[in-house]
Amino acid sequence: MIRTLVIGFGNLDRADDGVAFHVVNAFRRRRGQAALDEGNTGLEELGAPVDSVFIGQLVPEMIDMLDDYDRVVFVDAHVDPALDDLYCAAVSTDEAGLTFTHHMSPATLLAFFKALNGRDLEGHLVSIRGRDFDFHRDLSVEAIPLVEPAVDRILDLLGRGI
Amino acid sequence: MSARKITIEPVTRIEGHGRVTIHLNEQGEVEQTFFHVDEFRGLEKFCEGRPYLEMPQITQRICGICPVSHHLAAAKACDGVARVEPPRPAKLLRELIHMGQIIQSHGMHFFHLAAPDLLLGFDADPKDRNVFGIIKANPELAVKAVHLRRYGQQIISRLGGGKRIHPNLCVPGGVNAPLTIADRDAIAAELEGMTEIGKIALSVARGWLESNKALADMFASFPSNYMGLVDEEGGLQLYDGEIRVKDADGKYLAQFKSEAYLSHIGEHVEPWSFLKHPFYRKQGFPQGFYRVGPLGRMNVIDKIGTPLANEEFKQFRTINSGKPVEGSLYYHYARMIELLYGLERVGQLLDDPDILSKDVRNYPKLQLPGHGVGVIEAPRGTLIHDYSTDENGILTRVNLIVATGNNNWAMHTASGAVAKAFVNGNKLTEGMLNRVEAAIRCYDPCLSCATHAIGKMPLEITLMAADGTELDRIAR
Repeated sequence: MIRTLVIGFGNLDRADDGVAFHVVNAFRRRRGQAALDEGNTGLEELGAPVDSVFIGQLVPEMIDMLDDYDRVVFVDAHVDPALDDLYCAAVSTDEAGLTFTHHMSPATLLAFFKALNGRDLEGHLVSIRGRDFDFHRDLSVEAIPLVEPAVDRILDLLGRGI
Repeated sequence: MSARKITIEPVTRIEGHGRVTIHLNEQGEVEQTFFHVDEFRGLEKFCEGRPYLEMPQITQRICGICPVSHHLAAAKACDGVARVEPPRPAKLLRELIHMGQIIQSHGMHFFHLAAPDLLLGFDADPKDRNVFGIIKANPELAVKAVHLRRYGQQIISRLGGGKRIHPNLCVPGGVNAPLTIADRDAIAAELEGMTEIGKIALSVARGWLESNKALADMFASFPSNYMGLVDEEGGLQLYDGEIRVKDADGKYLAQFKSEAYLSHIGEHVEPWSFLKHPFYRKQGFPQGFYRVGPLGRMNVIDKIGTPLANEEFKQFRTINSGKPVEGSLYYHYARMIELLYGLERVGQLLDDPDILSKDVRNYPKLQLPGHGVGVIEAPRGTLIHDYSTDENGILTRVNLIVATGNNNWAMHTASGAVAKAFVNGNKLTEGMLNRVEAAIRCYDPCLSCATHAIGKMPLEITLMAADGTELDRIAR
């Protein structure tokens, strides 16, 4: 059985930077799970074949938690106009940064995990282009319609068992 | 050969972004070095007009690295504005969350930022001279480092309303919730194991410095004043105390209450950096520059109030026969002594009968306008928040002297000393330039905090001729 962790990360107080929170909750609703509220990351409810969490940022100590999984789907916002508005890609440890301090990229986290545990995790990124990063909690009109398609992509990854 | 300028931009493996320019004379020798911080944020200005009560939350967001420090200093300043003294249990809880930050910050800095230079070598290939290189060389040590950081973060999270970054704990007059028995027990359960990791970290730092004593004694080694908080017995005090300043020979220059800091500390501005240069007023600038943070603290205190760290402190004081230790690399040793202190102090706090008390807040009888100064010893050094409000509690003036800012001239001096000793302008090597960066890294600077800034700067080293012609460029 492939165990999967969906990790949404971002800042809920900065508009589209928190889009992953909405994606994770839409994902949870589709699977018949209760949505996370602001004070609940989902980290206390792990243990199912597919788990989902929303956190502020990726940090080194997550490697202990990742040891229970085979596959990780990262969900976040991006600002690169060269990428698709709904951008999905495999995460390669080849793209890992050589150092980090108190937060890290998906590739660096997986590389750190691999370096310490000696095994690869299958990694995927589902990223929505953000247009509004102002100090509020509403998503932009461009980001809202991408939430459900992002969930479709995550479910597709799970369904394909890739 | 014409005079040239070498630029290191950004300085790597530090928090925030800095730039070093090395100016060579016509013989290719280092003539002058500048440590530039080119970021500006202006928190002191845009907080004017805000209610003072918001500051423990606003100022945390200066930085995601050391938010707890700002949260605590802001809370203490707000205590002053509101003229309210928190009850003892609240002070214990504030100090406990502070120890969580000391543990995670010092642990992270040593293992991930400093250790690559120390354990892999200044001249190691940059592809390997990083945390992944440490993992390859010593995977067990790397795992311990992660667990230590996690422990510190969990203390912060348990006290901070479940938030590791930007915790929610302090309010004027105290804290917003007592510690639960479950949280106390959870923190206590891992303490012994974490203390063992702290001892290992300390032995690694001490061992490296003992084995490289000649280097440590000359690398970025220079006389300076030193500053830090002390308790009523002259002991290490990271949460509350009086500010003590000593000179390069270890003689007392001053000891004063936080509120009097402006009588003793001035701020100087240079045109080539947005980071201010604090200095001891009586000596003027730059003679009055001082160092803060772990080395500064070890050089001003008389003892440490926890047994294991105190024994290490006694050893530390023998390095320069009881006089202040000057070599910048000894910051790493001092930092690990403080890591051990933080772990021991957690134990003392958890054992205090008041730690579970529900008496965690005193309510002020507001008498506005108000003025308050909050000072703590952040991981990187003395942090000062100074607020003044109008009759409605709206901030009219904010002054922040952030830990790293206190070390600004010292980092400038350190980078210059190392550049002079190691950079040969006729033959540049990556290792030479890494040594200049390593000098700054000793200070564990948080430049984002110190300029209240966040920036994204391209990574480039440029070599400039005296006439401004670009001679060479390296991208890292």
